[in-house]
Amino acid sequence: MKRILKKNKLMVIIVMIYGGLMIFKSEMAYSALGNSTYYLIEMAQILPVIFMLTVAIDVLIPKEWIVKRLGNQSGMGGAALALAFGSLSAGPIYAAFPIAKTLHKKGASVGNVVIILSAWAVIKVPMLANEAKFLGPDFMAVRWLLTVVFIFVIALIMEKFHIKVKSEDEIIREDVVIRQDYCVGCTACAKALPEIFMMKEGKAYVINPDLKLTALDDRKKEYLITVADKCPSKVIDVNG
Amino acid sequence: MDIFTIGFWIVGGILFILSIIKEKEKSKEAMKKSRGMMKNMIGDIIGIIFMIGLILTLIPPETIESVLGSENLLLSSLVAAVVGSITLIPAFVAFPLVGSFVDAGASIVPGVAFLTTLTMVGMVTFPLEKKEFGTQFAVTRNVLSFGAAISIAILMGVIL
Repeated sequence: MKRILKKNKLMVIIVMIYGGLMIFKSEMAYSALGNSTYYLIEMAQILPVIFMLTVAIDVLIPKEWIVKRLGNQSGMGGAALALAFGSLSAGPIYAAFPIAKTLHKKGASVGNVVIILSAWAVIKVPMLANEAKFLGPDFMAVRWLLTVVFIFVIALIMEKFHIKVKSEDEIIREDVVIRQDYCVGCTACAKALPEIFMMKEGKAYVINPDLKLTALDDRKKEYLITVADKCPSKVIDVNG
Repeated sequence: MDIFTIGFWIVGGILFILSIIKEKEKSKEAMKKSRGMMKNMIGDIIGIIFMIGLILTLIPPETIESVLGSENLLLSSLVAAVVGSITLIPAFVAFPLVGSFVDAGASIVPGVAFLTTLTMVGMVTFPLEKKEFGTQFAVTRNVLSFGAAISIAILMGVIL
């Protein structure tokens, strides 16, 4: 329960604010709920596409291609590609997060991740049309040009200062991890510690990913470390 | 759904089906990964959305109007940039709003600052950005974007 609450801290705060508003200023709470509806619909329309796209990027685009086209050595061509990709997409900026993350994991540079995120947020084609309509084509063109220049500058600065992408799910690591990509499926670990490891489709996995080392007694912990050491492809990580 | 979202659906759908046809096992694996990533984010996204609803109620367009129309150009530009960073109003509301001010003869600088931070700087999405990309990345990107928005606004004021 505590874990769930901690994981959804934001949600808890929001629910509390809404609850408070309901009691003291209920018309404000209803208006806020009404305002949220538009964005909920937007989310429902866009997230399935994001899901499909992350899968497609993972499966269809080879790692080497991304490293070459969007990696550290991709230069202006990479920046242009990132810009085009961000501009031609649809949906709010949070929709860009899973896409940018998937691309980064496959080798896209930090600078290009910044360009994709920024372009995704700022320079969408339908938005440009809207801007030209209400503020004039000159206004739109100048703002577009300046924005593109500044997005490139921001990306460049972040590259120069070696800003790294580091997500929290990598920081809060599980105590026992199997790097399945390299598992050869020898079943040694599953035979030695059937309560911790199991086999599935020829690869070993940790039955309970939330397993904590502190929950094991010393003898078992030592045995676990021995088993990890004996793994022929050394894919069992014991952290802590 | 606007035409662009529909296009996005079509492209995403075709690529997705292509992945499944080409490599079924790898697609299954990728779907599992993607589902995990989405599950990790969905709570925050829904939180963000209700937060936006709340902010829109607390900072209605009328407030933004009074900021954009203020006499002190420097102050109003800064405040406009800050307000733009906090709220996330839809573009189809923001452009007419700023447009009406420019038509009325107000300076474009606060308007541009507002429009640019509106999309490029995300206070509301910051917690999620931090979680997915790390504190250093999220802080640097948002701070630089804020600076860029102010610069763009000043340059626009000079050029146009």
